[in-house]
Amino acid sequence: MTTISLLTIILAVLMVISGGRRGAISFVSLLLNFTLLFLTVILIAGGLPVLPVTFLAAVCILAITIYLGNTDEVETNVAFLATLTVLVLMLLLIVPLDHLAQIHGFSNEESEEIEAFNLAIGVNFEEIALTTTLLSTLGAIAEAAIAVASGMAEIIRQTATEGDSELRKSGRNIGLQIMGMTFNTLFFGMFGGNLALFILLYKLHASFGYYLNSKIFVGETFLVLYSAIAVILVIWLTIEFMIIKAHKMKQSK
Amino acid sequence: MLKVKKILLEVAVIFLGGIALYFATSHNAFMYQQPILQVTAVENGKTSVTKDEFSNRDEQTTQRLTGRILNGSSKGEKYTFSNTYTKSGGIDQKFHVGQQLFVNLYHQKGRTSVSVSTYKRDTYFAILVWIMLCLLLLVMKIKGLRALGSVLFNFILFILIVQLDVNWNITSFFAIFACSALIFTALTLVWILGWNKQCLITLEAIVIGTALAFAICIFAMWITNDQGMHYEALDFATQQPKQLFLAASVIGLLGTVMDAATDIVSTLFEMKRRQPQVGFKRLYSSGKQVGKSIMGPLVNVLLLIFFAETFTLAILYFRTGNSIGYTFSWTMSLGLVQSLISGIGITLVIPTASFLAAITLGRTEK
Repeated sequence: MTTISLLTIILAVLMVISGGRRGAISFVSLLLNFTLLFLTVILIAGGLPVLPVTFLAAVCILAITIYLGNTDEVETNVAFLATLTVLVLMLLLIVPLDHLAQIHGFSNEESEEIEAFNLAIGVNFEEIALTTTLLSTLGAIAEAAIAVASGMAEIIRQTATEGDSELRKSGRNIGLQIMGMTFNTLFFGMFGGNLALFILLYKLHASFGYYLNSKIFVGETFLVLYSAIAVILVIWLTIEFMIIKAHKMKQSK
Repeated sequence: MLKVKKILLEVAVIFLGGIALYFATSHNAFMYQQPILQVTAVENGKTSVTKDEFSNRDEQTTQRLTGRILNGSSKGEKYTFSNTYTKSGGIDQKFHVGQQLFVNLYHQKGRTSVSVSTYKRDTYFAILVWIMLCLLLLVMKIKGLRALGSVLFNFILFILIVQLDVNWNITSFFAIFACSALIFTALTLVWILGWNKQCLITLEAIVIGTALAFAICIFAMWITNDQGMHYEALDFATQQPKQLFLAASVIGLLGTVMDAATDIVSTLFEMKRRQPQVGFKRLYSSGKQVGKSIMGPLVNVLLLIFFAETFTLAILYFRTGNSIGYTFSWTMSLGLVQSLISGIGITLVIPTASFLAAITLGRTEK
């Protein structure tokens, strides 16, 4: 048995033990997301248009992450709407900025790893960089949106009389806590993934200017910054959407 | 009226600040040691179509670039050189008039040759940081900066640890990273929660959860004899790859375990504050309830981060005729193992954090 399959089985068992039925559903959503991601790579490598495939995959991943395992209709709908809006807004930010900063493809530091390959493979690396960026932000925005939406729904349920500004304030408090932790998860995730790179850069006696300009470092930092921006945006939008929803629910009563 | 004025002022500050930043960072060549060249003329040559053995069609173009040096001892001098780029742009890049590039100048027998070292990206870097800061301030007000502060603080510490590792150059460097990652976690918690009981319980839960998950992972690797683990596929490895991989995994693991533990413990403390008479059983089951709802999204966050990192490489493997299995094991398996380890950490920290918080809070009541 390979290490990866043993670890997958251990994770599945532990998720069921610690989460029961919801744990099992979470594991299924993980498997579905992985399959979708893998399919996306294969479809794009097969030559299908990158942007439509990415957008479709992103919407599916968001739907799976948000709707599977969360049952409350109001919360999930608000969270889904907020994440979709952020997805579109992020496209508007990423497309021009990635083009200007030219961070797509491989960097000189990676040339050893790819020296066996001929890089003229006829795909648009700029569009692929866009896919990478969008996909890496999806998990974080889905998590933040769901957390803020369910936290606020709980407050609306408990105290029906709170005004907009009160509600906005509590939403912001929940968002702030989630944001602080999400920033750290992103940060640790990035350094966990790039530890070897940092050691290499230091061994090469990289100057401060190198950090601000090299493709590899700027590219990796852009990923974290985009995710941070997406998380802030999604918290803001979820709060506002939830307030609108609360108004509608009051009117219907 | 006052509110409209305030919003207008904010928008004006954001735009003017952005423009000032753009102007400053595109005229900062004098601050760099390495020569910077601004492209003043581009002459595109003929485009040739290339085709490889997997019938991937691409286009290759050579351009003649003329540029002026903006800084250093050769300031103001003009050079002409050539650059070859492909349409797909895997590692090369098409240059346009007005762009600034870092170059190396080689003087040899009265002639000077120019080679491009990297494109100047600091302007866009600064703009993106500016956008993020403005959004953070607008949405979260001044408190948002505190969250950012802890990340910056961790970053500086991290760079220091890397320095230590390189300078000491000891063989078992895993210990350095594991210890320092633990110190990061403790400092981050004190930064966010303050030095109190809640912080201490969270830290205990994190340490226990991480250690357990890591032990399970090592055990699984030992029992399966590292089958299917291609440590040599690790990018940029300049030290022993397996240790490096484990060190990287521990850092990722701590980050997620911290996220889960903080959520659970702070929810339970909040619950105790609102209903002081609540007992161990209620607290424990509420903690597990919180855990259940955050488990799925958190594991997905990691999966997406790790997968996105390998995306470009996987495309390259597929386009050059590699099978699905081969591509998977050489580009994705390491990242996937990292997210699996973090997932195991999350599932283990949920009962640990719930138990520790519940037993402490349940006891103080009597």
